[in-house]
Amino acid sequence: MTGVIEVRDLTVRYSGATALDGVDLTVHAGELVALIGANGAGKSTLVKVLSGLVHPASGTITVDGRLAQVPEGREMFGDLTVDDNLRLGGWRNGRKGRDTTHVYDLFPDLIPIRARRAGALSGGQQQMVAIGRALMARPDILVVDELSLGLAPLIVTTLVGHLRSLHADRGLAVLLIEQNARLALDLCHRAYVLESGRIALHGAAADLARDPRVAAAYLGGHVPVTP
Amino acid sequence: MTAGLLRPASAAGTGRAARWWLAGFTILGLALPPLLPERHLATFVLFALTATVTVGVSLLMGYAGQVSLGQAAFYAIGAYAAGLLAVHGVPSLLGLLLAPVIAAVAAVLLGAPLLRLRGHHLAFATLAVQLILLSLLAQADWAGGAIGLQGIPRLTILGYELREDLGYAYAASLVLALAVLIARNVIVSRAGRALRAAATSETAAAASGVPIGRYRLAVFALSAAMAGLAGGVYAYYLGYLSPGSFPVLLSIEFVVMAVVGGLGTITGPVAGAAVVIVLVQVLNTLATRPGMPGYAPAVLSYAVYAVVLILCVLYLPKGLVPALRRATRATAPDRRQS
Amino acid sequence: MSDLVGYLLTGLGIGAGFALVGSGLVVIHRVTGVVNFAQGSFAVLAALLTSTLLGAGLPHGVAEAGGVALGAVAGLIVGVIAIGRPGTSPGTSLIVTLGLGVLAYAIEVLIWGDQPRSFPGLTGVAEIGGARIPAHYLLIIAVAAPVFLFLAWFFARTDLGRALSACSSNRYAARVVGIDVRRMGLLAFLIGGALGGLAGVLTTPVQQVTFDSDVVLIVNGFAAAVLGGLTRPVIALAGGLLLGVAQTLTAGYGGGAYQVEVALVLMLTVMIVQAARTGGIPEPAR
Repeated sequence: MTGVIEVRDLTVRYSGATALDGVDLTVHAGELVALIGANGAGKSTLVKVLSGLVHPASGTITVDGRLAQVPEGREMFGDLTVDDNLRLGGWRNGRKGRDTTHVYDLFPDLIPIRARRAGALSGGQQQMVAIGRALMARPDILVVDELSLGLAPLIVTTLVGHLRSLHADRGLAVLLIEQNARLALDLCHRAYVLESGRIALHGAAADLARDPRVAAAYLGGHVPVTP
Repeated sequence: MTAGLLRPASAAGTGRAARWWLAGFTILGLALPPLLPERHLATFVLFALTATVTVGVSLLMGYAGQVSLGQAAFYAIGAYAAGLLAVHGVPSLLGLLLAPVIAAVAAVLLGAPLLRLRGHHLAFATLAVQLILLSLLAQADWAGGAIGLQGIPRLTILGYELREDLGYAYAASLVLALAVLIARNVIVSRAGRALRAAATSETAAAASGVPIGRYRLAVFALSAAMAGLAGGVYAYYLGYLSPGSFPVLLSIEFVVMAVVGGLGTITGPVAGAAVVIVLVQVLNTLATRPGMPGYAPAVLSYAVYAVVLILCVLYLPKGLVPALRRATRATAPDRRQS
Repeated sequence: MSDLVGYLLTGLGIGAGFALVGSGLVVIHRVTGVVNFAQGSFAVLAALLTSTLLGAGLPHGVAEAGGVALGAVAGLIVGVIAIGRPGTSPGTSLIVTLGLGVLAYAIEVLIWGDQPRSFPGLTGVAEIGGARIPAHYLLIIAVAAPVFLFLAWFFARTDLGRALSACSSNRYAARVVGIDVRRMGLLAFLIGGALGGLAGVLTTPVQQVTFDSDVVLIVNGFAAAVLGGLTRPVIALAGGLLLGVAQTLTAGYGGGAYQVEVALVLMLTVMIVQAARTGGIPEPAR
């Protein structure tokens, strides 16, 4: 069975330095997959390759279906309104694809602030706009780069809930790139661990969560006690 | 500051190559003028003076990292200073020595507020300064107004009056050699290296305690002094100055030559000025042949400046001299500097 | 009093020209980060072509439209050369547009010669508030005002305008949502060219044009644009009008001298104050 995303033997170099080295990664249709790793492990590079913003030195990437990205740091159009931010998310889909109703249905919290400047919103609101903007592309797979970064735990819980229901209701596949390994392993089915540009480990999220190496490096040394 | 600015660094790599170039230039500057036919001597004087200003522009752009679109203003200040002093009876040699000083003082006064600006803001600010100067000169009756300053005496050195073009060719050569020598010392100095670092990361250089602001102002003043000195020779050589002699296009020409030769190199501006001036002269000769329309020289020289600048910036961004140096190094790897 | 009204109206007419050049600069700078030095050339090219078309017997309106179209095409060409190569930095692009401005000199002198040109605009004299001013100044204001309203509507209310704003707001995010940033940059150059061209055809009947008139236009346009930090078109508009009025007032009450200096000194002051306010680069401790 092939996936929505198929990455084979991907190598990326930035002016000589190797950022990704022979990475293999698969996301199947309707699957929640986590990519965890420390700062500088190459996670963001992988996202940029998937979005076509960086060209690989070698290897293949196949994306079957529509991919939309929630970029790290939210990357709002700060001087534009929430509504304009969302509409621009549907830029590729033409005029008809810029109807924002389905996003407001999903995030009713955005309705009262739809005319506000996106740059003036709180981090949690911005992350909601960023997810909504990505959903405007009507994607089959959502690549979420650092969902929890800089957000309060309560807000992260809400956002995770949204991702769960998107997956459950619409069969959306998600590739979640996260520094918070506990959150990622908790939400996702499978996970990959990226270290210095290579895939160090991969497998079922539950298995990885019990793996002492993962626990030591990414979960603060405590193996979660799960039945 | 001056000690730091002028102390040569121990790194001899650029120094040794530059010394050969300097020797070559000096021989060329001394041997070439007598061999040139009379009508080409004027071109040679023009070349040497233009190259002198370009050395300063190259230093400013390559080391202070700033585009100046108003360098002709300092050329004009030097020329008018020398011209006015001479017209009012000041010995011409003293006038020539004062010209760069006055230009540098003007640069310090203008630079103190203006060098807070960066990039395109500074480019437009320097352009504005030149336009203001031209407008003021055109309205200043004491400087000849729009008609110009006439009757400037010729340059007299130790009782010997320079009447022939040959004398001015030597004077211009001397001025150019001086500018190149000073530029070389600045480039290999501690301040030069600090400025080069600042051109890439200003905050890092500032954080390391380098007085970038003062160095930058010093380079600005130095480049103005070079322009002023060349302007002084220009005033005595032509004997007549008007605001129209210093158009904005002249400032752009200096930038073209500096970019073509290679910013922040020692020989680049000289090579750039030579290439552009020879090219324009050759095309001028073609354009003034019988049968060519009257506008041909202007059209061709504009086209040369434009095309050379655009092609260089896009395809040879480091300039002619560094590109040639790379090419020769590729064929002779043993001469690679350590 | 009637003098003042006259100066104000002619100032607004001249200022509208600066504002058009300035807002063209702002549109291009917002989207591409490039300060387009060739902006004044669009006005000169458009004015020169219009004079030729009118001379060939084309009616007013058609000839001016031809001029504006040439400005837009010239804008696009400048854009292709200045930002067409991937990885061209805005600083490099500035030098390239500088070169293209000089190249425009060659083309203009080749086709139209180096003598000043003009063409008749709206003839007649209007009397407003006791002031008699050439009617063409009112035409400039009457054309420029709806153009600015259209621009405001275009950038705020159309998806294409939003996409252009998106490029200036966050280039990376624009690429993430699939906006072709380079193509938007070229569109900005096209719009900038048309705005420059419009400035040229509108102001030439009251201020004749030579191939090197672009310097005055670009400097005044930049002065207008810099008031709004090169990013806010509305302030560029206000800045242009202010400059125009300030210049006619100085010329009117100051006897014709020093009107160039007014704009330039104003521009220098604004830039230095802005640099001081934003702090610029911190001076190292002595």
